Amino acid sequence: MIDATRSAARVFAAESLKQHRRLFGQPLVVFSMLVWPILQLATTYYTLRPVATASDAAAHWPLAADPHRLLAFLATGTLAYAFFFSLVQSAWHFSFERTTGTLELLFLSPAGRLTLMIANGAGALLQNAWLLTCFTTAALLGFGTLSVASWWMYGVVVLALLIPAVAWGAFLNSLLVFSRDSAFLYTVLDEPLWFVSGVRLPHFALPAVVQVVGAVFPLTGSLIAVRGALLEGDTLGALAPTLGWLTLLSALLLAAAAVILRVGEAHAQRTGRLRLA
Amino acid sequence: MPDTGIEVRDLHKEFPVRDRGLFGPRTTKTAVNGLDLDIPAGRITGLLGLNGAGKTTTIKILATLLRPTSGTVRVDDLDSVADARAVRRRINLIAGGERMVYTRMTGRENLWYFGQLYDVPKRELRARIDELLSLVGLTQAADTMVERYSRGMTQRLAIARGLINDPAYLLLDEPTLGLDAPIARDLRRVVARLAAEGTGVLLTSHYLAEVEELCAHVYVIADGRHLAAGSPAELKTATGSLGTVRVTVPQVPPAVAEVATRFGATRTPADGGGEILTLRSPDHMAGPLAAAIVGAGGAITALEIKEASLEDAILALTDGTVPGPVVLA
Repeated sequence: MIDATRSAARVFAAESLKQHRRLFGQPLVVFSMLVWPILQLATTYYTLRPVATASDAAAHWPLAADPHRLLAFLATGTLAYAFFFSLVQSAWHFSFERTTGTLELLFLSPAGRLTLMIANGAGALLQNAWLLTCFTTAALLGFGTLSVASWWMYGVVVLALLIPAVAWGAFLNSLLVFSRDSAFLYTVLDEPLWFVSGVRLPHFALPAVVQVVGAVFPLTGSLIAVRGALLEGDTLGALAPTLGWLTLLSALLLAAAAVILRVGEAHAQRTGRLRLA
Repeated sequence: MPDTGIEVRDLHKEFPVRDRGLFGPRTTKTAVNGLDLDIPAGRITGLLGLNGAGKTTTIKILATLLRPTSGTVRVDDLDSVADARAVRRRINLIAGGERMVYTRMTGRENLWYFGQLYDVPKRELRARIDELLSLVGLTQAADTMVERYSRGMTQRLAIARGLINDPAYLLLDEPTLGLDAPIARDLRRVVARLAAEGTGVLLTSHYLAEVEELCAHVYVIADGRHLAAGSPAELKTATGSLGTVRVTVPQVPPAVAEVATRFGATRTPADGGGEILTLRSPDHMAGPLAAAIVGAGGAITALEIKEASLEDAILALTDGTVPGPVVLA
């Protein structure tokens, strides 16, 4: 057990370095890490602001009446979205390893396949999201809009973002690494993720069908937990159903990743398509 | 773990093929058809055959990248399918022309990365990386991003990667393909040294002189089937491969022409005048031929002897000139 944990930690370290080098190859990366999300946040804010302050909207959604709280709502949405979408991007990049041949080298090694997928996602997440996380934290503190039940709820917030995101990353890596349609999946998971997960709008404002679809995306649950803990002062008890669902969803995503990897590798070993020339 | 070597028994590999799109009829293509191989520790074993013979497929099965359709591969008594993870710790693969490394990492970082995946002990990893960088002549470029490497440098780094786990068995698929001559020579020396230290090596190469220089035992395959096995010398003998004697004479008087006919030599004009008598023979017939020419009153201005090559033996086998399978020692 200790050996397995140590080996896994080394795979995590290796993937972190790889992701760091991939993402920090040029200084313009700061645009994708910070400037681009902030621009999206600003666009969303100034689009919503006139609508949200209308009397009818404020009656249904009191938070929207306060510009700072609206901005905090959207900032948490942008941050959580950045967590999850960075993993979509990372998985898309990972799928290229099948054509460059490096995937074959990874599968030639004794490293655990699921560990590799998780480490690759976690590495991308840490490299991608730290700057925006710092910015959002500073902004929320600056707005004075935080309403947190107790200090350790910050830990709950981190876990509610991190664990489902890493499980989501492992699932996507497993899916895209054996798929010929990675570009299609990339497109499918971009805008719809914004919409169905309630990044820009409160979950209750979405149509029922969209709410049901959104429930299967871990970003939705993460957003409910993060916003509840940071902006509504929800306690652990109040968030327990959401956190329970997130735990179940994360476990299902990891289990699905393990199955996809097993089936995908066996298929690639049978057909010789671990490498696409 | 006993070093019992790699044992391949009755190996078959078929690939599913769809000839016409997603919904076309599914057929199968046989790449390996009943191979038996033994790759003991401490020996360089060659695997030869023409393009499409099944060499790369065989190597990829041994590397666990492909799963055999039937048959078994055992590495130090570990089954390559059931115990794949343990097998992967004991092997590595280097493919010629391979440039599969991460271009946004330095050479040193690439080796560190793969060292982590192979769980090479931290204490050993740093020293091994330095040793391998030196071995492939990349010490000066160790901390340069690979995207700035030349093709040859990248390929040398890929070779170092294949040695990062100090494999008990090394699978080499055209390892010197595209390498500059000095680097290829150095790699051959490294391979010979590894084998002398106990590493079992399986080598495929189109450079048959390389195989002849390195391999103690060679398997020849065609269409995935076993054709012959033995040492290079045994294969040449068994296939009756012919050496070549070329004698340049200034003139061909009738008595020398009669000698040429008697020995079965062909006559062609020489560039500087005179003629070249060419004799293909299983033995070294240079002495008797030269003596007969002189004895017939002729003169000799040049004598060239070319020994039978492994290439001749392989061509004889794969052309069907010699019926297989030919199994020697």
